[in-house]
Amino acid sequence: MAGITRIATYVPRRRLDRTVIGQTWGTRVAPGRRAVAGLDEDALTMAVDAALACLDGADPAHFDALYFASTSAPYLEKQVASVVATATDLPRATAVADFGGSVRAGVTALRAAIDAVRAGSVRSALIVAADARLAEPESELEPLLGDGAAAIAVGTDGVIAELVSAASVAEEFTYFWRTDTQRAVQVTEPRFGASYGYARDVAEAVGAALRKAELPPARVARLALGAPDERSAADAAKRAGCDPGRQLVPSLAAEVGMLGSPEPLALLGRALETAAPGDFLVVAGYGEGADALVFRATDALPAARPRALDLARALPVASYGRFLKARGFVPAETAGEVVTSVVEWKELAQDVRLHGSRCEACGLVQYPQTRICIGCRARDRLVDHKLGKRGTVFTFTIDNLAPVAEHPLPMAVIDLEGGGRLYLQVADAADGEVKIGTAVELTFRRLHEAGGNRNYFWKARPA
Amino acid sequence: MKDQVAVIGVGCTKFGDRFERSYEELITDAAFDAYADAGIDSSEIEAAYLGTYLPGAGGGKAAVSLGDALRLYDRPITRVENYCATGTDAFRNGCLAVAAGVADVVLVLGAEKLKDRGGRGIPRLGHPLLARGNTAPGLFALAANRYMHTFGLGRETLAKVAVKNHHNGALNDKAHLRMEVTAEQVLKAPIIAWPFGLFDCCPTTDGAAAAIICRADRARRYKKDPVLVKGVGLAVTTGRPYFDPTFDYLGFRSTQAAARQAYAMAGVGPRDIDFAEVHDCFTWTEISNTEDLGFCAKGEGGRLVEEGRTALDGDIPVNPSGGLKSFGHPIGASGVRMIYECVTQLRGEAGARQVKQAELGLAHNVGGPGAVSCVVVLGRG
Repeated sequence: MAGITRIATYVPRRRLDRTVIGQTWGTRVAPGRRAVAGLDEDALTMAVDAALACLDGADPAHFDALYFASTSAPYLEKQVASVVATATDLPRATAVADFGGSVRAGVTALRAAIDAVRAGSVRSALIVAADARLAEPESELEPLLGDGAAAIAVGTDGVIAELVSAASVAEEFTYFWRTDTQRAVQVTEPRFGASYGYARDVAEAVGAALRKAELPPARVARLALGAPDERSAADAAKRAGCDPGRQLVPSLAAEVGMLGSPEPLALLGRALETAAPGDFLVVAGYGEGADALVFRATDALPAARPRALDLARALPVASYGRFLKARGFVPAETAGEVVTSVVEWKELAQDVRLHGSRCEACGLVQYPQTRICIGCRARDRLVDHKLGKRGTVFTFTIDNLAPVAEHPLPMAVIDLEGGGRLYLQVADAADGEVKIGTAVELTFRRLHEAGGNRNYFWKARPA
Repeated sequence: MKDQVAVIGVGCTKFGDRFERSYEELITDAAFDAYADAGIDSSEIEAAYLGTYLPGAGGGKAAVSLGDALRLYDRPITRVENYCATGTDAFRNGCLAVAAGVADVVLVLGAEKLKDRGGRGIPRLGHPLLARGNTAPGLFALAANRYMHTFGLGRETLAKVAVKNHHNGALNDKAHLRMEVTAEQVLKAPIIAWPFGLFDCCPTTDGAAAAIICRADRARRYKKDPVLVKGVGLAVTTGRPYFDPTFDYLGFRSTQAAARQAYAMAGVGPRDIDFAEVHDCFTWTEISNTEDLGFCAKGEGGRLVEEGRTALDGDIPVNPSGGLKSFGHPIGASGVRMIYECVTQLRGEAGARQVKQAELGLAHNVGGPGAVSCVVVLGRG
């Protein structure tokens, strides 16, 4: 039996109240808030956050494939899946692939991963979908989109939802697009697109998948439909013969916005928060056609239920200007020096996998990796040691002078659970939240840009 | 090495925003000030040590900035760089050369032209671990917050250091920030890196200072009242204290070790010191330094300043010059500037800021923070 074993969603803490956009442009906007990736976040970093939440302490060595899905990857040339696999400390012998093109990439990657498991070519795979899609300022898409990521582990052991059937539709349709020279997502006439580029295709793929499963639409417990907007999801559900009010997983539009490729996976996660064993769950993604997958919740679900998505903890984005800056429309201060690829390569285990050293003579866990113990001075007795990703603030400062784009910058010395001490920037902290003793967890972030490239490293954030 | 090396001349430029002076001009001003004080000319200089963090334009990672500024050629000139202990370490190296008998008259010069660099603070690191966000106030603030948390110290106590040092600096016509400040001003200033506000931080300063040293047994040829080098100490600890799980952040081991070395060489203890120029890059640093140098027990440094014991008329005046806080901090120049102040005080030539009974003075730098510390004990012949 192949299927989903774990699932988690990451939503950035920053939220922009849509009325801020409405007031800025003098336009009517839907109520609610949208999630905003910070200046130090992008699809890559959010993917790592979601993947770590999905692993939740599980041994990464168990996985042998990682697929990344996004339409807004921070690189056009450079694979992201391998970065995510390294930051989550998966083995080198991992099959990796980036999926993209349209926001159905998340569901496509999920299908490809389960197919690989079923075919016996992969034992366990991690699928991570993330998007931080840019909309043109003052466009209709601007208040609608939201940023986030979702991760799903698939395999054959501990399956909480097994794949029953799958179906796809493929046909050229210009609905959303972004050429290689455009930063922001473009969209065709919205009502035309929603009807013919979305609802029709999704209903067709869902219908085909249900027929393969010999399942009448009424038997579906929950439909997790990625959508361009909330109303279109209901339209697609109706066209597929389902009752949106009863069967559709409620949209995240009001609190986070339309997430793009991670959205159907995040909605599937919500469905699994409450589903009963035996429930049929349908997940579908769209874009130049659609992919639909039918799952059945297993008896293993109640004991391994995903954690409820916590959207309560949010930091307001103070102004429209801050929002534009967070999304890269305002040039941020870029501070100087290039990190050479030689240093990156030499220190990969230390800097990206976050391995420190443990002294075999005195037991002290330390960082960065070194040859002589900082505690007992034993030479060459230090062995590779995976550091924990939770800790407490030993001391800190709130720096207004640091050469970074957003001030103030909290910096903290962190004592990690399991040993080791790190010195890190603190992300996503509310005023007064960073203090001696504050519990933190680590998050992989974009630290700075220099030499035309990006430097990613770990930060702490209040846990 | 005790009493083998004498300081026969000192010089110091006005510290401050010296936009009108080049790096080489500052060197020249300080050196000729010292030549005049010693009554010598450059032909008598047998070797020189340049303490500088950022050499002059075209100076590169070498000592040529000093040679070219002074046209001091065909002699050994060595550039010393050791974080904020650069100046005192240059002096220490000069003393070693004289004591070793390889040069009888040596010029030690510290110079820095930080204000020509455009950006704020010192240049940034490119390493992924440390890139972005590493500022000097931010690094010292880590220690200050932990110290204040542990010993229950408030920002009000830190402010007293600023008030004291600005008072002293206002009396000093070579100081960068010659103005008194009130505790209220200090506490209400914009925060740079919590708990440090603007007036808890030393300024970024241009300046140069020089000392001419020679064999003690020949010192009286030049000066009837030479000042003798009693002891020197230098200690290096980790430059990455924030990764050391055993570090308590309550003081700097390098200062404690350098002080032990200097006291042992001088055959004195901290109680014998009459006044001290210590590295007050931030107000908290002075408080911690007074403990690390042994003037009081760990955790008592706040009370030392609260009770006025480190004031000009206290029993252990600290930073009578105004310190880095008011005099300014051109990195490589600061240590040599401290030697200048100690010599001036020991000669009884400090005017309105003269401390009483100046027989034994101490100069101290710490950089890193805590990675490198240098201590020099000077006394009257």
